[in-house]
Amino acid sequence: MESSLLFSIATVAYLLAMVMYISYVAFRKEGIGKAASFITYAGLLIQTAALVMRWVESYQMGIGRVPLSNLYESLVFFTWSTVLIYVVVEWKYKTRIFGAFVMPVAFLALAFINVAGISNDITPLVPALKSNWLFYHVLISFLGYAAFGVAFAISMIFLLIDMDERGPVRDLWYALVAIVVIAPIGYAMAAQGEHMKQAFWMGLGVVILAWFIYLVTRGAKNKPMVYLFWSFCVTLAISMLVAMGIDFLNMKGMPAGESFKKHLFEATFLNQSLPIALVSWAAVIGLFYAVWAKGIALKKVLTQYAPSQDILDDVTYRMIAIGWPLLTGGIITGAVWANSAWGTYWSWDPKETWSLITWFVYAIYLHARYVRGWKGTQMAVISAVGFLAVIFTYLGVNLVLSGLHSYGGMN
Amino acid sequence: METKNQQGIVEVVSEKIWKFFSSVKLAVILLIILAIVSVIGTVIQQNQSPEEYLQEYTQGTVDLFETLGFFDLYHTWWFVLLLLLFTANLTVCTLERFPYAWKAMRAPLKPIEEDAVKALPFRKDVTLKTGVEQAESLVLAALGGKRYRTLVSKESGGTGIASQKGAFSRMGVYITHVSILLIFTGALIGAFFGYKGFLNIPEGEASAVVYLRNEPLWDKIMSGLGISKSPVSYVEGRVPALPLGFYVALQDFEVDYYVNQGRPTGMPSEYWSILSVYDQNRQKVLDKRIRVNDPLTHHGITFYQSSYGTIPNATGTVKLGIRPKTGGATETVEAKPGASVYVPSIDRTIRVTGVMPYGMRDPMSGRINFYQSRNDELINPVVDLEVFKGKSTQLLYRTQVMKIDSQEPNMPENYTIGYQDYWGVRYTGLQVTKDPGVWVVYLGFILLCVGPVIAFFGSHRKVWARIQEKNGQAVVLLAGSSNRNRIAFEREFARIAEDIAKK
Repeated sequence: MESSLLFSIATVAYLLAMVMYISYVAFRKEGIGKAASFITYAGLLIQTAALVMRWVESYQMGIGRVPLSNLYESLVFFTWSTVLIYVVVEWKYKTRIFGAFVMPVAFLALAFINVAGISNDITPLVPALKSNWLFYHVLISFLGYAAFGVAFAISMIFLLIDMDERGPVRDLWYALVAIVVIAPIGYAMAAQGEHMKQAFWMGLGVVILAWFIYLVTRGAKNKPMVYLFWSFCVTLAISMLVAMGIDFLNMKGMPAGESFKKHLFEATFLNQSLPIALVSWAAVIGLFYAVWAKGIALKKVLTQYAPSQDILDDVTYRMIAIGWPLLTGGIITGAVWANSAWGTYWSWDPKETWSLITWFVYAIYLHARYVRGWKGTQMAVISAVGFLAVIFTYLGVNLVLSGLHSYGGMN
Repeated sequence: METKNQQGIVEVVSEKIWKFFSSVKLAVILLIILAIVSVIGTVIQQNQSPEEYLQEYTQGTVDLFETLGFFDLYHTWWFVLLLLLFTANLTVCTLERFPYAWKAMRAPLKPIEEDAVKALPFRKDVTLKTGVEQAESLVLAALGGKRYRTLVSKESGGTGIASQKGAFSRMGVYITHVSILLIFTGALIGAFFGYKGFLNIPEGEASAVVYLRNEPLWDKIMSGLGISKSPVSYVEGRVPALPLGFYVALQDFEVDYYVNQGRPTGMPSEYWSILSVYDQNRQKVLDKRIRVNDPLTHHGITFYQSSYGTIPNATGTVKLGIRPKTGGATETVEAKPGASVYVPSIDRTIRVTGVMPYGMRDPMSGRINFYQSRNDELINPVVDLEVFKGKSTQLLYRTQVMKIDSQEPNMPENYTIGYQDYWGVRYTGLQVTKDPGVWVVYLGFILLCVGPVIAFFGSHRKVWARIQEKNGQAVVLLAGSSNRNRIAFEREFARIAEDIAKK
C-alpha cells in the first residue's frame, strides 16, 4: 500500500526533526533550527498526503471510510494533529524550543506504530460507525487532545524552570515506598476479583486526587512536592509510551480480531509472569528515580533557551483556550452522532463521562485563570492534571473500564 | 444594626442564598464533586441485571450500592440535586455578572481625560510633522484599518478620539453559560415529556404500541396525583406499553454482510428496514427505508434501526426470480418451504424442499458447505429446489440457489432461477424515542460551540488618542486597553502607532 510507504517516510522525517531540534537546543545554531523546521513541515505534508491516500485506498477497496476509526489510524491522526499544532505554535511564537519536546512524542508514536506493525489493514466498519458525525467527532476530539498535549509539554517546561531545587532525598523515598506498597496491594486486590479491583482503583483515585488538590492549592509553597509531581508526570508519559511500544512489539502474533484494549500493558506491568511484571515495575521506579535525580539538571539548559515563564504560561493558556472549545466540539459531535444512531445524545457511557470529567478539569483551569486570576505554578499543575485526564479518557477507559467505543480496538 | 433589623428575615436569608450561589469558588467545588462522583459511575457498571451484579459483588456490597444508588448513579436524586445546585450556581453567577458586562459592552464611546490616560496599561507618544487636522485623519485611518469604531471630539486643548472594537466578545462567557442552561433545560423537557422505548416487529406485521424503558415524568406525576390517567398500560409481568396513535409495520428487512473474496463474512455492513406508517383508519401515510444513522420520524416519535434477529421456528416465504436466459424481465414467484408453485410463463412447477441459513460454495469442488450461524441468522441462505414439468410430478432437475454465490448454479433449461429473499422469518429491533427537548439541547450545542470561541478569541479593545499642537508639530498621545489577550493587543497597539508615524 502506497500510504504505508508515505507514513514510513514521515516517520523518518520526524526522527530527523527530533534529532535536529534537540541539537538546536544544545548548540543553539540558527541553521540547525531552520533545517529542523523545514524537515518538520515536509514530514507534516507527507503525512497529510498519506492520510488522504489512505482514505482514497479505502474507497478503492470498496469500503470507503474515513481513516480515523481504529487504533492505528487514531494514533497516526493524533501524531498528525500534534505536529500541526506544534507548527502553528512555532510560527506564531517564533520559537523552536518546544520542538525538542513535542517532536519526540510525535516520532515515538509513529515509530511504535510502524515498528510494531499494529494491524494497519483497512477494516470495515460496523453500521453504527458509518456516519459523517464520526469523522467530525474524531477529527475535532483529536485536534483538541493534541492541543492539550502541547499544553502539557509546555507546562512541564514551565514547572521545571519554576523549581529551585529537587528537595531532600527523603521525599523520593516516600514516593518510592508509596509505589512499592501500592502496586502489590493492587495486584493482591485485583486477584480477589472484579469488585476488589474496582475498590483498589477507586481508592488509588481518591489518593491521587487528594494529592492533585493539595498541589493546586498549596503547591506554590511546596516546590519539592511539585517537583515530585513533575517527575511523576514525566515518568508516566515515558513509561506509558515505552510500555505500549513493547505491547505492540509483543502483539504481532496476536490472533486477528482480538481487541487491543484487552491486552494493553500485558507485556509489561500486567504480565502473566510475576518476575516480568516485577522487573517492569522496578524499571519504572528506576526511571522515576533517574528523572527525579537528574531532571533538575535540565533546568539550566531550559532556563537559558526557553522563553520567559510569562510566555510559557500564556502559551499554555492559549493551547487550552484552543483545546477546550475543540473538546467541547468533540463531545457535542459525539452526542449528535449518538442521537442520530440510537436516539440518545448522552448515555453516561464511561468514555463519555471521562471526556466530561476532562472538560470539567479544563473548565476549572479557565475559571481559575479568568475569575480568580491564578497564574503560574498552580495553572501548570492543573494543565498537567487535565492531560492526565485526557490520557485516561483515551486509554485508561479502555484499559480499566469498559465502554461502547470501538476505536481502542487493535483492529 | 438598624438597617439589618429593618430588613425582613426573608430578605436576609434570600440575600445569603444569593451570595452563596454567586460564588465561583462554589462552581469550582461543584465541578470537582461532579467529576469525582461521575468517576464512580464509570467504575461500577451501570444498569446491569441483579444476577450480573451478584456475579461481581457480594450480597452485602450489592445491597450497599443499591441503597446508595450506585447502579444507576446518574439518575439518583442526589446526583440530580448536584446538577440542580450547579444549575443554580451557574444561573446566579451569570445574573450577578451579566449586568456589568452588558453595561461595559453598551457603554457609549467617550473621550478620555488626560489624567485617566496615564492609568491605562498601553501608552505611546507619536510626534508628527504635520498639522493637527492631518494628524487626525491619519489616526482615524490607522484605527479604521484595524476596524475600530471611532468618535471624534473637539476639546479646548486639541482633538480627542475614542475608539473601540470587539465589545460583543464580552458576551462570549454568557453565551457559553446560557448554552449549558439550555442543554439542561432540553434534558429536563425530554425527561418530563419524552420517553425511550423499543419495539420488535416481525416482517409483515405491525404494532400500535411501543414498549417503554422509561415513562414520561409528566404522565407519572399527573397520574400519581390523580389528575389525569396515564396513557401507559401496565400488565403484571409485562413491559409497560404506550399507544403510538398510529401503526408502524415492517414490510421488509434486509442485511448486507461484508464480503471477503466472494464470501459473506457474517459481519453486517448495513441493515435496513422498510417501515410503513398507517393512521388509525389503517390508511397508509408513508413508507421509509431506515438504516442505522438514518431513522424515521413521525408525529415527534423517532424509530431507530437498532438490532435484528431471526424468529425461532418461524416458516417464511421464499421469493425467487425467474428470468429467461435470452434476457428480459424478472418474474417473482413465492413459495413456502415444502410447498410448490406453478409458473405459467415457463410451464414448470417449482418446489422448495428446504432452506438453510448459512451456506457457501467451495470454489474448487463446487460443493456447498453449510455453517452454523448464531440464532439461525440468515447470513447466506441456500434454497433447495426441485423443478417439475408442467403441473405434473415428473422431476426434471434439482438445484440449489443462494444469496451470494461464487458460481452459476445448475440451470439446465432456458431460464434461470435466482434467490431474492426469504421473507417472514426475521424481525427488526427498533429503538423508539420521543424527545421534544432535543431541539433545545441542539440550540444549546450550537451556542456552546460559538460561545467559547467568542470568549477566548475576541477581546474588547479600546484605543484613545489626544492630538495637540506643540511648536508647530502635532503630538499624538495614544493609549489603549484590552480586557483580554493583552499580548495580542500589545502587538496591535504598536502597529497602530507605527501606522500613524509612518506617514
